[in-house]
Amino acid sequence: MEMFLMTFTSGVMVGGIYALVALGWVLIYKCSGVLNLAMGEMTLIGAYVSLSFYSMGIPFLLALLFSLIIGLVLGILTERIFLDKLIGEPVLTVIMVTVGLSFFFKGTVELIWGTDTRVFTPPVFSIEPIHIGPVIVGQAYLWSFVAAIILLIVFVCFFKYTRWGLAMQATADDEMAALSLGVSARFVYAAAWAIAFMAAGVGGTLLGNINGLNISVGYLGLLVLPAVVLGGLNSVPGAIVGGIVIGVLQNVCGAYLDKYFPGGVKEVAPFVFMVIFLLFKPHGLWGWERIERV
Amino acid sequence: MSTTWLPCGVYHQDYHQDHGWWQTKFIKGKMILLFIILFVVIPLFADSYSLSVCNQVGYTVLGALGVQLLIGFCGQITLGHAAFIAVGAYTSTLLILEFPWPKFMMDFGVAYPLSILIAAFAAGIWSVLFGLPSARVKGFYLILTTMAAQFITVDFIITGYVSQIGGRGQAFSLPPGTIKVGPWVIDSDLKVYFMMLVLVISCVVVMVNLLRSKVGRAWVAIRDNDISAEVMGINVVKYKLYAFYVAGFIGGIAGAFWISNLAAISPEHFPWFWSLWLVGVILIGGVGSIHGTIFGSIFMVVVMELLQLGVMQFMDTSWGERLFMDFLFLKEAAFGLAICVFMIFEPNGLAYRWWQMKNYFNLWPFSY
Repeated sequence: MEMFLMTFTSGVMVGGIYALVALGWVLIYKCSGVLNLAMGEMTLIGAYVSLSFYSMGIPFLLALLFSLIIGLVLGILTERIFLDKLIGEPVLTVIMVTVGLSFFFKGTVELIWGTDTRVFTPPVFSIEPIHIGPVIVGQAYLWSFVAAIILLIVFVCFFKYTRWGLAMQATADDEMAALSLGVSARFVYAAAWAIAFMAAGVGGTLLGNINGLNISVGYLGLLVLPAVVLGGLNSVPGAIVGGIVIGVLQNVCGAYLDKYFPGGVKEVAPFVFMVIFLLFKPHGLWGWERIERV
Repeated sequence: MSTTWLPCGVYHQDYHQDHGWWQTKFIKGKMILLFIILFVVIPLFADSYSLSVCNQVGYTVLGALGVQLLIGFCGQITLGHAAFIAVGAYTSTLLILEFPWPKFMMDFGVAYPLSILIAAFAAGIWSVLFGLPSARVKGFYLILTTMAAQFITVDFIITGYVSQIGGRGQAFSLPPGTIKVGPWVIDSDLKVYFMMLVLVISCVVVMVNLLRSKVGRAWVAIRDNDISAEVMGINVVKYKLYAFYVAGFIGGIAGAFWISNLAAISPEHFPWFWSLWLVGVILIGGVGSIHGTIFGSIFMVVVMELLQLGVMQFMDTSWGERLFMDFLFLKEAAFGLAICVFMIFEPNGLAYRWWQMKNYFNLWPFSY
């Protein structure tokens, strides 16, 4: 039981980070209809940028802030250079451009930073574990979870209460109506990419703090796909719930099924789950069910 | 398959001509010339390096044909085709290494060709298994399930279980002399080249003929609009699964062929990158065109080789050496950029340009 509680807690903690990245994904999809497969590499870029700043001796929070700014710039640039020209193109074209982007980002990151695992030195969070009742949690996990939750709240408030956030919601809901009311769709697309880049960067930084940073963090970014499928592609609460569920599922499967199926159950379980889930409920928990007409 | 305009003054008078393989004498001559170049000129004059580049092109064509069938002709986007290629390669390897072939079959060199066939069937069935979700989901969701096929097959089943068979560790090495087709032991680039030619040509011919048949027309109807295809009485699920089967079959052939060129196979030969690479090949070549598959393969392989040669020019500088060491990463970045640029500026691919050029010359000097 204790083991279950432990894996469950650490699953929830990691799931918080996935939820953050998944939120960025859903945002892009909601606002501009782009199905983004470059999310993993966006987490990589943000993580490496903040690691570089941090190892230059800048305090962690400031390094994170810098990586947010760079994420903002990169997001706007990506949208303007690549995605802006593809509005109205078929789905496959847009998806493949994001795949192309993912390889471009990944190759660039590997060329600049290499493939060795890097760690944040000195460690940002102390390695003393914290006891919460019977459960022992690593500090990195706990603080990452807290940071992810704070950012999630900030983002959700941003959508609900600010002018820009409302403009983004309006565009997501009905682009034509939003355009006629004077919302600039191009601005909204750029903002969506910028926010997604920033969210991914924070997610990547936190993940890098937990396990050290190498290319496989980009693979963790792919885990947002099962998360968003579970929650429904265009649902913000769905992304949050999906991220946490996937985190828990991954850890619990890793802990319990590894005995029976050795060799990477932890990596595969979310995808297996996703395939089975798709067969029964392809629109996710809270996604819109689009009625197709010929 | 009358996709090009005929030259001025040439008209078809019945449907047979419309469906002909070689519609004019000029095209026939051109194809014979192509065959002469492929079978005589290249083997005579090419050195080992260019032959190995040709083999890579052939492997890419074989792999991309299945992807082209699924994406370009049936509209089922797949991002996990390397899994089926891997299934083919591993089936063939295991059959060669572990199956107790009778002595005479080994002597006559039947074992490897037979294993290619069995590998193709196995990969086809595996592909249908992961095509099953296509009955319920499409578009982006199907992309996700095919992605899952890649991770489940290669990263989990093959790495964790299949690789452990026989206790060889991660890589299966093929002892020289085991890969034998008839009386020939496939041990040089030239022999691989000829085998590649035979396989590529037969696969292309089968594909083109399939596309001219009832099945092919059903696929195209599903691609264009699956709901109206269903209304017209096409069993959509059945034909989608056919498409997955044939695509997996060709992928299996590709994998089983490629082991003849590798001394040892391991799961790293079939990464997710390779699946995406194949999709990139058909996008750059042109979606929905057999020409496009071949042009895309040639383009991607040759551009990457040229890039490598270009980097090698700067070997004496320190950054050039580093780039050469990290060439794989440079290749990834260049591939990504190439896809983006093609999608934005040339969304119809190379085949479209080729088609335009052909039409220009067909109608030259007096276009209608």
